[in-house]
Amino acid sequence: MALLEVRNLTKRWRNDRLALDDVSFDLRQGEILGLLGHNGAGKSTVLGITLGMVRPDRGEVRICGDSVQQHRARALSHVGAIYEAAHFYDYLTGWQNLRVLCSLSGWWDETEARRILKLVNLGERANHKTKTYSHGMRQRLALAQALLPMPKCLLLDEPTDGLDPEGIREFREFVMKLRAEFGMTILINSHLLGEVELMCDRCVILKQGRKMYEGPVPSQEKSQSAFILQTRDVVKAREVISAAAATMDSVTSKVELPTHTLGHEMLKLLVESGVRVDSWQPYQPTLEEFYRQQTGL
Amino acid sequence: MSLFFQQWQGELLKLFARRRTYIGFVAFLALEIAILIIFRLKGVERVFERMIARQGMAFEQYYSALTLAFMILGISVVLLGAIYLALVAGDIVAKEGEDGHYRLLLVRPISRSRLLLIKYLTCMGYTFVLIQFITWSAFGLGLALKGWGGGFFVMAPEIGLLSFYDWDFGLQRFALASLFLSCSMMTISSIAFLFSCLPIKPAAATIGALSYFIIDRILKETGFMENYDHLLLTKHIVSWTRLLVEDIPWPIIIRDYTALAAVCLTCLILGIAIFESRDLKS
Repeated sequence: MALLEVRNLTKRWRNDRLALDDVSFDLRQGEILGLLGHNGAGKSTVLGITLGMVRPDRGEVRICGDSVQQHRARALSHVGAIYEAAHFYDYLTGWQNLRVLCSLSGWWDETEARRILKLVNLGERANHKTKTYSHGMRQRLALAQALLPMPKCLLLDEPTDGLDPEGIREFREFVMKLRAEFGMTILINSHLLGEVELMCDRCVILKQGRKMYEGPVPSQEKSQSAFILQTRDVVKAREVISAAAATMDSVTSKVELPTHTLGHEMLKLLVESGVRVDSWQPYQPTLEEFYRQQTGL
Repeated sequence: MSLFFQQWQGELLKLFARRRTYIGFVAFLALEIAILIIFRLKGVERVFERMIARQGMAFEQYYSALTLAFMILGISVVLLGAIYLALVAGDIVAKEGEDGHYRLLLVRPISRSRLLLIKYLTCMGYTFVLIQFITWSAFGLGLALKGWGGGFFVMAPEIGLLSFYDWDFGLQRFALASLFLSCSMMTISSIAFLFSCLPIKPAAATIGALSYFIIDRILKETGFMENYDHLLLTKHIVSWTRLLVEDIPWPIIIRDYTALAAVCLTCLILGIAIFESRDLKS
């Protein structure tokens, strides 16, 4: 079941630049979805429309069946979010910031707030002014505010931006924990392909406002039409492969099979032709390779 | 309703946690003390003495805490009131946008119009508190100097008023007039609030609102708009002094405050409409 439905979003900015062109996708209950794209691809605009910050020219977003464009307050009662860089009130403490933000949701529970602050490792600094916080601490406070009150769905816009490798790892583990312990549905908007690869079940790739791909994170799936061949008889192998209308990359040794040819059939042909095959593994593309393929970048 | 008050409480917490909010209070207190010191100068006192004596009244009786408070109020509100109210109201929406706070506020389940209504009410609350502070701190300073009791000498040339009251009656009227003064000044806050809803910097919103108010005042003072002065805000804003007339002209006061309420409501509705139409993305 889709918890968040993005339908036919189209947005053109005042300078006539097309930000989104008929973008649709679903975020299913319990999954972690990565929204990928280069700078200016429209990722933040999708999130902006999803949060009612930006008005679409066409299309709508539904959260738990409620339209953000028609019933914004009701729709957003199901989500917690970090949208763009989190700028807190520097003259207030972390605790007061949470209080102010939660008051807008008409909710405040001190015990729960303390629990969440502890969960994001900010318990001891909660009573310090946020102007004394490091970037990592601000991001953790941003995560805490998104989790108060505990939402069904978490929308995160470039959540690891500016974090050091240790901070990124901590964040990744925290997100995985949220899904494992609370069954939370999460949408992550990022350009860090490595992180998306490690965290997400599916991804959506945008390029210049258009959706190029929606599906499983490619690196999690082994290809059935491409294999990596390891052999000492490279010349002979290339001849056999060419004769079978397949191709072999001389650098990566990646063999691309023609349609209707199965992997084990090609392996059999190679062996029968006297090629000494050391290894024949299904090709597992990285997300980065797939992303480049999809976006042509 | 409790949700609304909970949301408003959050807005008040933000406003009163800022040092900038208190600048107005400190500045007014300093100005009032300065005015009081000037009033203590022999030459200045003699001017008042002549004015009161010309009406056949005793200077010692009518140069009281109430008289001083009213004079301090008249001078300080005109000089600084508009500036500090425009500063806070001009900031209240625009500054949040400039600092990127809407990215945190509007991901919450609250409509933009409700958020603005809360901000507007906060502005009005601040206006009321600041004006009451100015009023009663002026009275407090007057008391420190002249003590309790005496008469109340009122001079408001803009409505041609020159009156003398005893202490109790004067104090009642002074308190009533201060409430209406707060309402008058809400108009300036409303104009600054409207400017604040535009996609401009907070300083531009403050300057815009002040410019409007100053031009309005200049047009009134110069008499260019004599036949159309009902269109000028300053004509209606000074109506609070009519509460100090012995027989209060309620029809005029009601007319003036209806006009001011209409301006405030228009500013609020326009501000919400403008803010609703904006895309909030960096």
